[in-house]
Amino acid sequence: MNPLTEQTRASMAEIIHRYPHKRSAIMPILHLAQSVQDEITPEGIAMVAEVLDLTTAEVNAVATFYTMYKRSPVGKHHIGICTNTLCALLGGDAVYDAVSERLGAGHNQTDVDGTFWLERIECQAACTHAPVMTVDWEFMDCQTPASAVEVIDRLARGEMVVSTRGPAIRDFQATEHTLAFPDDGLAGEGGEADAIMLAGLTVANQRGMSAPPATAQGA
Amino acid sequence: MTLAPHQTSVQPVDTVTVSVDGIEVRVPKGMLIIRVAELMGIEIPRFCDHPLLDPVAACRMCLIEIDGQGQPQPACAQTVTDGMVIKTQRTSELAKEAQEGVMEFLLLNHPLDCPVCDKGGECPLQNQAMTVGRPEARFDEKRRTFPKPINVSAQILLDRERCVSCARCTRFADQIAGDPMLELLERGAQQQVGIGPDAPFDSYYSGNTIQICPVGALTSSLYRFRSRPFDLVSTPTACEHCASGCALRTDVRRGVITRRLAWDDPEVNEDWNCDKGRFAFLYTADGRVETPLVREDGRLRVASWPEALDTAAHGLAAARGRAGVLTGGRLTREDAYAYAKFARLALGTNDIDFRNRVSGDEEAQFLASMVAGRRLGPTYSDLDHAPLVLLAGLETEDESPIIFLRLRKAVRSHGLRVQAISAVRTRSLDKLQASWWACQPGNEAWALRQIIDGPQGADALAGLRQPGAVILIGERLAGVPGALSAAAALADATGAKLGWVPRRAGERGALDAGALPGLLPGGRQVTDEGARAQVAAVWGVRSDVLPSRIGRSSSQVIAAIRSDAARADADSEPAVQALLVAGLDVEDSPEAGAFRQALDEVPFLVAVSTHHNEVTERADVVFPSAVVAEKAGGFTDWEGRVRSFGPAIRESSSVADGRILAMVADVMEVPFGTGDVASLRAELDSLTPSTVTRAAAPQVASSAAPTPESGYALLATWRLLLDRGRLQEGEPHLAATARPTEAVMSRATANSLGVANAATVTLSTARGSVTLPLAIGDVADGAVWAPLNSEGCALLGIGATYGSVVRVTGGAR
Ligand code: SF4
Ligand code: SF4
Ligand code: FES
Ligand code: FES
Repeated sequence: MNPLTEQTRASMAEIIHRYPHKRSAIMPILHLAQSVQDEITPEGIAMVAEVLDLTTAEVNAVATFYTMYKRSPVGKHHIGICTNTLCALLGGDAVYDAVSERLGAGHNQTDVDGTFWLERIECQAACTHAPVMTVDWEFMDCQTPASAVEVIDRLARGEMVVSTRGPAIRDFQATEHTLAFPDDGLAGEGGEADAIMLAGLTVANQRGMSAPPATAQGA
Repeated sequence: MTLAPHQTSVQPVDTVTVSVDGIEVRVPKGMLIIRVAELMGIEIPRFCDHPLLDPVAACRMCLIEIDGQGQPQPACAQTVTDGMVIKTQRTSELAKEAQEGVMEFLLLNHPLDCPVCDKGGECPLQNQAMTVGRPEARFDEKRRTFPKPINVSAQILLDRERCVSCARCTRFADQIAGDPMLELLERGAQQQVGIGPDAPFDSYYSGNTIQICPVGALTSSLYRFRSRPFDLVSTPTACEHCASGCALRTDVRRGVITRRLAWDDPEVNEDWNCDKGRFAFLYTADGRVETPLVREDGRLRVASWPEALDTAAHGLAAARGRAGVLTGGRLTREDAYAYAKFARLALGTNDIDFRNRVSGDEEAQFLASMVAGRRLGPTYSDLDHAPLVLLAGLETEDESPIIFLRLRKAVRSHGLRVQAISAVRTRSLDKLQASWWACQPGNEAWALRQIIDGPQGADALAGLRQPGAVILIGERLAGVPGALSAAAALADATGAKLGWVPRRAGERGALDAGALPGLLPGGRQVTDEGARAQVAAVWGVRSDVLPSRIGRSSSQVIAAIRSDAARADADSEPAVQALLVAGLDVEDSPEAGAFRQALDEVPFLVAVSTHHNEVTERADVVFPSAVVAEKAGGFTDWEGRVRSFGPAIRESSSVADGRILAMVADVMEVPFGTGDVASLRAELDSLTPSTVTRAAAPQVASSAAPTPESGYALLATWRLLLDRGRLQEGEPHLAATARPTEAVMSRATANSLGVANAATVTLSTARGSVTLPLAIGDVADGAVWAPLNSEGCALLGIGATYGSVVRVTGGAR
């Protein structure tokens, strides 16, 4: 595992400058720690607490609340498969089962050599392209068991994989770095909303539909 | 539990009319529904609600129905509005069902630990499960379990499966103590209370979380599995550990103290206390003097009471007019008063002093002028309402922990500004968001004078002129020439209230009782004929019986014994032929070495003591006396508030000091009275507070701290709350939560001393040295901080105290 360095500390300071209150920086700073160490370690918690003037208990509380912070090494790639309602209806569980069998890993586990982390994830607001899989939090839309396993195979062979929305897959730690520094120029990759996403709006516009006015009770 | 916020000022408030269960009431606008119901005698079940913590509505136990709102609402988080129609579980099926549902939900994972749980018998979950729960459980799945228990600190244990996630403990830690080292961790089904990795919940106030936990999830290493609440005999008591004056409850089982709790006193400690007051009581058991002892052929042997009384009376009578009395700061006010009276009537002397610490003439005059025998105040409630509080020579968290809590409350609730003249920017100053005026130890007098007439003082001066501003000073300032004079002058110049905060619980009481060379009870001066007459009248003696010359302080008495031994020809001052010593530890004295020699050399030594110690081992007669828990009495807290209590261990046959002195006086045929606590208290209460003429405030010029030579630094030091104090003996779990023993200095100081890269530093004086880990922190340049009396760092033992110049050398890294 990579150690946290003075360079890490300097990057943390840079993130802190974005916020009026130090402690507001806790989420991106945890992602930064994770981008270096592939997980949130006690060492990471201690450094985050120190730079934010918080206690380690407070940092621990945040780090254990959000599921995107991991407390054991993720490996090279994080594989998320949505099994919430719409994805489930369109085969998300079958996709999950196939990948799980391919990796020999269950929910929140890694494969035997620690390269892939598998996780059932919640709705990604990508239901239009269900069932979805994420690789290092990049979308792989409209998956089937076969297509998902193929993605894993290609990643395992070290081949280049590109998200169905455009960006090339890097690795988990690189994504974590982007989450810490969303202004690295990569965050916007992946294009605009496509026709399927806008289908409902298009129909509404065609037919002159709009939402009913808000009522006192309606809140 | 307290009902309402503590507002003392009477101001018209906006009210609203609401109805609860069909009964209409007018209540202040903005009150929480649960408080309104309480005032009406309607009990809404609750777990997370606590009147002194911010609402969170975490447990959902208090759900009630409000007309016009579809879903049940938490009564602990909703404030009343005009015309609100509220129905509790008593009149609303919706509320009743909702509460039953929440209770059933809370019990799903709750273990059946009641028969072995510390809380069983006084448990809100047990009680409310009986009153508002469903009679039958419907859940027959496997419960969530955790390995039992985990240590969140050496003292506090957590049984996670008992927790109902009410967040009382975590809110207490964050909001009240300012130590957010306890948090709710994990999310969802595994939610649990916990700490940071390797960061135990070592808060000085940690024990309060046990008391407010509404289930048995938090327990103490000290009390866990010790007894059942219904086997305990509880007595309201007052804490003997410091001058904060906490009301406590002491629980005794078959003559043995099993635990102590904070008792609710809204005027003083509210619902809280510190861990020392809660956990340090085991000293009462070990090392006690059990019978009178008399020295024969150089050795102490057990004696009968009559024999010991005879021996003491004989020896003391022979030294009448040439005897000194040293009482220490731990006695109850009644006992201190008994010594003050005994010194004057039986020994014919004013050579009595309770100050077994750094003290001096300026302090004696300051106390006589500003503190002794005065009425209550400034008070905690003055701190609540102050716009500005200035601290000098006082570290509140270590030296008077409830003052810290009250300041923090005022900072949080109405933005009180705290300013501190201190050598160290301590953790408590940060938690109070205080402005820190770095001041080298010994420069306090100068700093206080700067406020009065220095170029930078204008702001502070204006702040202190605001109505209600308070200056709090610690007893440490007695060692800084001119500091008490400057504090008195500053209070005079601004109209700010001035509070003197001694550390020990018995100091203010002993002062009011007249255990000082220049003072009789109630702040009366021994040199004032009228004052002597008033006291003589209460004592039923002719006023010329009372000695009229100002007596000698403890250090003067010690010095006199030593010079007596050296040269028998006494000059104007009579030689000290006998000493009567009570309740003090020699090693607390800044001149312990001389004190020990004086005890060795004085011709006749009587010790009245709860424990065997360095005094008893040198004494000619030793009387066993009762510890606080075994007797009735009272302490006077820093405010001047009397905190009376009865005996907690009622089965004890130990005798209080006052009664022992009465028996000795009786043999000496001195009219003393029975010495029982009620009559001592009645006499004392008739003498203090008083409105007699007081001494003028001291006017000692301020001087600057010495400039240490290269390689030396000024010592900043005080006792940490948890240290090697005698009364904390026997409780290793408590000791394990103490703050680290380390030397702290600024980076600049470390550089100039050439120790910046050292792992440890050695502080030395001509008499010895201590070696401590070095930490870099916010300390005035040129100064080094170290604890006065911690394990491995007994600074008095090497003759170092606040403001001393010590040599600093670095150890290898
Ligand atoms: S440990 Fe007790 S006080 Fe803390 S959250 Fe759990 S039930 Fe509440
Ligand atoms: S704050 Fe002082 S009086 Fe209160 S419990 Fe602690 S030691 Fe006792
Ligand atoms: S349910 Fe899978 S993205 Fe919404
Ligand atoms: S007491 Fe109201 S939600 Fe807990």
